[in-house]
Amino acid sequence: MKYKQVQVISGKGDASDRFVQTLRSIAVDGRNRLYAVGDSELKIFDPDGRVQRRWPTSKPGYAVAVAADGSVYVGQAGQVEIFDGEGRLADRWSDAERLGRVTAIGFLGSSVLIGDANDRAIRRYETGGKFLNNIGKNNRMQGFLIPNGVLDFSVDADGIIHAANPGKHRVERYTPEDHLLGHIGRFDGLDPSGFSGCCNPTNVTVVGRNRIYVTEKAEPRAKVYDFQGKLLSVIATVVFDPNCKNMDIAVDTRGRVYVADTVRLEILAFEEDAQP
Amino acid sequence: MSEEITRRDALGKVVRGTVLLGFAGGAGYLVKKANGQIVWQVDAAKCVNSRLGEVGAQVCTLCTSECVVSQSAVRAVNNFSKCGRCYICPAYYNIKSAVDEKGLPSEKLCPRDAIERKPIGLIDPEDPANNFYEYIIDEEKCDGCGICVKGCKEPLGLGSIVLKVRYNLCVDCNRCAIASACPKDAIAQEQVKEALEIEGAAKPVT
Repeated sequence: MKYKQVQVISGKGDASDRFVQTLRSIAVDGRNRLYAVGDSELKIFDPDGRVQRRWPTSKPGYAVAVAADGSVYVGQAGQVEIFDGEGRLADRWSDAERLGRVTAIGFLGSSVLIGDANDRAIRRYETGGKFLNNIGKNNRMQGFLIPNGVLDFSVDADGIIHAANPGKHRVERYTPEDHLLGHIGRFDGLDPSGFSGCCNPTNVTVVGRNRIYVTEKAEPRAKVYDFQGKLLSVIATVVFDPNCKNMDIAVDTRGRVYVADTVRLEILAFEEDAQP
Repeated sequence: MSEEITRRDALGKVVRGTVLLGFAGGAGYLVKKANGQIVWQVDAAKCVNSRLGEVGAQVCTLCTSECVVSQSAVRAVNNFSKCGRCYICPAYYNIKSAVDEKGLPSEKLCPRDAIERKPIGLIDPEDPANNFYEYIIDEEKCDGCGICVKGCKEPLGLGSIVLKVRYNLCVDCNRCAIASACPKDAIAQEQVKEALEIEGAAKPVT
């Protein structure tokens, strides 16, 4: 399986489709629209990469996710802001203790999952905002090992949470009730099927029941594995700025893979290459 | 005759003035030095081994090769408040070496074996990755080559290891040989208060 780069969206600058200082998180919705947060703004791009809508957030965004009903959740320091699809603020969850710095958000039935990078744990809330339980906190290390400063996870079609644990060079699987089911991944600085450096992978997204997409830093690359941990493809590597880290990754319904270059503030799109 | 005396007098005055100025300057320098106000120090934000944005650069070992002091007066220093205490530290291990039977890199990075890796607390026998590790630099062995500094540099590491001039080793030359050779002007005289601050490695490139 090979991938080719098909598009570059956004970039550094002050035009409406660009980011000035930061690009931190991306997500896609069921209509293949791309959501990106950076600086203190959220931008929505249509499937062709044109900016469709944008609105400010009260603090710089670290995470973005789109719920099934079209609500847009933006994770920030100490809070999550919830917008409707038009950009109107619908709710704000503030919890300085449990929402130290929100770097990932996911949805699971009637639960909202929130990654708190400060406390290195995933928080599970009801959709109404009531806290239910922690995930990944009840262990010897009292949380995920994230020297890179970002806690990222994704939920698969069966409701299993796949969380990057970069300090262990693993992607771990948890039930919503916080049972560790297993992991994929191992350290290897030479073999691309392993995770390199001190702490990789930094970001993860899961599609369906058999695809785990990850990004790594130093050297930056995007890869895809199956659920058994077999490397299926190195999607891209040299196209990213070598100083990149914590590159968020998202996949749309067409199988198009988006990766955020956090230095050039670009979103690179890749598709499977039909050529052998 | 009188013209020659005048010239001699003038020349003598110039020489005496120069010597006096030299003494005064030297005395001022010595007073400052005696007060401990100025020292040679490495600016981590300029040093090619720790400066952000220098990902592809080769490691610079001039702090070792140029210093007039045997084994250099420069040492690698780990700022523990920034250190990630990683299971696999890219400053300790050669992360590009083959993986051993324990799943760890088979080679260390430091050519003088000057970094000690110690688990914090008891090791989990079932999973050694379930631990934080402390990385301690043995300054008796370290010669400030900067290889570990480059290994720790962001984004690969957290930039917690930087090079520092050790004042007990530095002979405080009027013109530091490393400073003369450093291509990035990363060694300069500083006030002691500033020089003692370890921050700076993570400053963005401007």
